[in-house]
This record gives sequence, structure tokens and C-alpha cells, in this order.
Amino acid sequence: MKSSRLKPETLEASYRKRHETVLKPLASALANHITDCFKGQSRIDRISARPKDVSSFLTKANKMGGRHRKYSEPLHQIQDQVGARIVTFYRSDVDCLDKIVGKYFRAIESKDHVPDSEWEFGYFGRHHILVIPSDVIDDDWDKALVPKFFELQIKTLFQHAWSEAEHDVGYKEGEKPLNLDQKRRLAFTSAQAWGADRVFDELFRELLAPASKSN
Amino acid sequence: MPVERIHAYLVHPKKGEDDKTQPAGTDVPLSGPMLNLMDAIYSKSENDCDIDITFRSTPDGKQQNDCRDLLLTYLAAPSLTTGHAIAKRLGETTDLRSALGLLFLIVGKEGRDHKVVISRFPTDNAIYVEEKPRTLTVQFLERVFMKNKHSYKAVLYRDASLRAGFWNGRAIDKQINTPTSPTSDYWITDFLLSEFTATAAQGTNRFAKALRAAVHSDVPVEVKEEITAAARLSSGLGGQRMSINQISARFNLSQPAQAAIMKGLKKPALANEMFSFDAAEFKTVVAFKSVELDNGATLTAESDRFDKVFHKEQIKDQTEYVTRGRVVNEKLKTKA
Repeated sequence: MKSSRLKPETLEASYRKRHETVLKPLASALANHITDCFKGQSRIDRISARPKDVSSFLTKANKMGGRHRKYSEPLHQIQDQVGARIVTFYRSDVDCLDKIVGKYFRAIESKDHVPDSEWEFGYFGRHHILVIPSDVIDDDWDKALVPKFFELQIKTLFQHAWSEAEHDVGYKEGEKPLNLDQKRRLAFTSAQAWGADRVFDELFRELLAPASKSN
Repeated sequence: MPVERIHAYLVHPKKGEDDKTQPAGTDVPLSGPMLNLMDAIYSKSENDCDIDITFRSTPDGKQQNDCRDLLLTYLAAPSLTTGHAIAKRLGETTDLRSALGLLFLIVGKEGRDHKVVISRFPTDNAIYVEEKPRTLTVQFLERVFMKNKHSYKAVLYRDASLRAGFWNGRAIDKQINTPTSPTSDYWITDFLLSEFTATAAQGTNRFAKALRAAVHSDVPVEVKEEITAAARLSSGLGGQRMSINQISARFNLSQPAQAAIMKGLKKPALANEMFSFDAAEFKTVVAFKSVELDNGATLTAESDRFDKVFHKEQIKDQTEYVTRGRVVNEKLKTKA
């Protein structure tokens, strides 16, 4: 298939226009919509949605997949131009919230992000690629600028904390790679977050879940 | 002329059969009356296809769909061979109760968008009459394919990207609400491996909230009564596939009642979106019906039981409500 990739300056201008005119208000409308769908659910710490900023989009658009760029049509292929996140207390909550996602949203992808090997620690989280509900699409927007999908992540507080800090201090494309010790220390914090999640979830199920079931 | 290629296939229903033969197909020439018919189907599909559908992911949640893959292969290089795979799939998902079908794949470009209309004409019998000055010839025809208004099916896909697009489409399925029909599910669910874009809970929740907003809006009491009656009747729609507009039509709602419901939606277009009615979801939003009287009384009951627990009698311009039961609880509520 012939590549229809835009020139870098055209891609940046196109995304910037989309970001300003559609993605910003879309993210705000989505955050309200998701909050409405999850109203009444216990132990949700926060619900947020934000547009992917221009530089993150361009970094992702220029990622290599072997000898070629990973995305030949980044405006169509990058599906997290709007990313939403639900942060909840315990790992058991993630499964409950997942069921609600399935009720109110049409998913084209749902997966658990876990490190490749059981000997590794790193990024953990539940991700869905969901059809943007027509409720949040303003009819006045240029349809060509409205993405079809958004990404919804469901994370525990510890997963959220780890991914935010890792995003800040971890490796970014074009920067100096982390050395082995730095990587190991990041993996150590992930392992600690994983352990804390596990223990809190066990305590929750022993101490609180039976009570909430009997109420 | 936006139509660029047309392929036609004769599709025999073969569900459950181990028949490897390919459906017979042909390139339809881009001229003459056949093109006019196809062009009309292609152009009208933008309005005719009104059911929003989305391809399903794999059961384990992967972003892949067999039917979409065939569609993308065909669109990347439209040919009799790449179209065969789609026709073959249709044959494999239709059983003998659906009879023979004539499948058209109509491909075109609309600006930057690639567009394809997949249309299935069912087979029928017909009588051909030829009139001459002194005679009339009557002939019985078999294998006539007609755009039968009861069983015609089509789907429209339009997208700019052949790599990441074509997840969503719009379909026509006139048999969608005939649960007794064996063919009611094969087009969208089996052949297209798709679902309504609006989930059952999402569509029902929208409708229930619109009803609730309409009842709380500044409309006359008669209109509110009409809407609450619709809410009561709606709880019996479980499993039926319809749009908010179709529900309003089913209950013969007056224009003011329909307008009040439309106002309760975030935008009017949502009233056209098809969904499968979820009675449990409906009850979570429209659980109780309340009636306020001008003497300060407020009567509340579960919305689908209100008319059973309160006996209503009209006395001139006033209404008397009577109920009887054992007191199990009392509550004081804030004004809000």
C-alpha cells in the first residue's frame, strides 16, 4: 500500500489545528461524559481526559518500527489523541469498572498492559480503545478533524503514581538512554507499587469487601 | 462520477455446508441502465443506511475483525477476486432460509474518502408481461432480484484511511425487529461481525434521561402524563432494537411530547441512533414516578407500578388518588 504520510510541517500544522479546535473541547466533554457514566461508583479517586499535546503526538508519529516509521498515517493511526483515565483505589475495583466500560462504551480493543516477562517490572494498567460516543461530538466541528476513538486507562492509585513519575523521569525518545542502575531502580519502584497494590487489595477483600457485599 | 468499480456475485446460502465452490461473480460495466441503478443505490446510501454499526474486536479484545480485513483487502485493490472473499463470507453466514441473493460491491471516492456500498438483493418470483397491439404475453420469471423493501440489506463504509479506518459503518436491515425471522441477525451480527455502535445501556440511558428531563421541563401537565405513560410502557421494550424516534412513533407521542424528549437529548441526531433496549438500565434511571397536587401532596411509586398502587379518579377539574397498604417506613426529605 502506498504511503500517504504528510510532510512534517504539514503534519504538525494539521495536528495543531485539530488539537486546538476539536481535541481540547472533546477531552473536556469526554471527562464529563465518563464521570456521568461512573456516577455512584465507590472508590474512584479521579476521572480525567486530556488531548495528546502537539510535541508528544509528533514524537509518537515519528517513532520507528524497524527500518520504517511505525505510523504511515499518524493522524488516523494514533488512537490516543484523547486519553482518559480513571484512577481507583484497589485492583479489584478495576474489574468492576471494566464491566461498566463495556456497558456504556463500544470497544475495539481491550487489554492489560503488563511487562513481557514475569521477571520484569514496569508499566501495568488496563487500556481500552473506545469509540467516541456521539453525545460528545459537537455537530459544528469539522468531521475530518474528529478522531474516531479515544483511549481509556483504568489504573489503581499506585499504578497511576508510578506511570506519572516514570513519564517524568523515564527515557524519552531523543534523550540519553537510562543506564542499567537507573532502569533497575525504576523497576524497583514498579515492583514496590505492584506489591503495595497487591497487599492493599488483599486487605480490601478481607476487611471491606465482605462488608460492602452484605450491605 | 464517484462510482469507480462494481462487482456482482450470486450468493447461495451455505451456512453449515462444506462447499468450497466460489460464488459466481462479474464486473458490472460502468455504463447503461445498470450503472444508473447502482449509482442511485450508492448515492442514496448516505441517507438510506441509518443504523450505526461498529466491527467487533476479537473475543480476547484484540483490534482485529475478519470481515473488516476482507473489506480492507478488497478496497486496497478492488477486483473480482478480492470481492469473491466477501461474497463467500456472505454465503457462509446465510442459511437456506435466506434463499439466493445477489450481492453488489460498489466502490467509489468522495473527496479524500474511500467509499464502498455492499448491497444484497433477495431473490423473488415475478411475472413478465409483454403487450403487443393484439396480444398479451405473460411469462413466469424465477431468479428475479428485487430491492424488496422487507428484506433488502445494505451497508455503507466511508473513511479516509485504508489502514486505520473502516471500523464504523452504517447499515440497512429491514428485518432487524422481526425476532421470529431466522434471518434477523445474520446481516449485522454474523456476516458483518458487527454490533450497533451505541451499546444497549448507552442508548437506553440516553432515552431514559431524555424522558426524565422532559417530565421535569416546563411542559403542560397533559404532555407530562403522556411522557410518563411512555416511560411505563417502555419498560416492556426489553431486547427490542429501535431508535428514540422509533419508540416515540411506536407510542404515538404527540408533537409537544416528542419535542420535549428531543430537548432532553444532548443533540437531535441521537434520536436516530439504534440500540437494543435494556429494561434494567431503564429502571435505574426512571425508577420512580411522582405526582404533585396543588394541595401540597406528593405521591411517589415505582414508575411501572404507579398506576397499580394509586387508584385515580377525575372529579370535575380535580383528581382523587386512593391507595391502601401497611405503613413500613416514613421519610422526611429536603426540598431539593
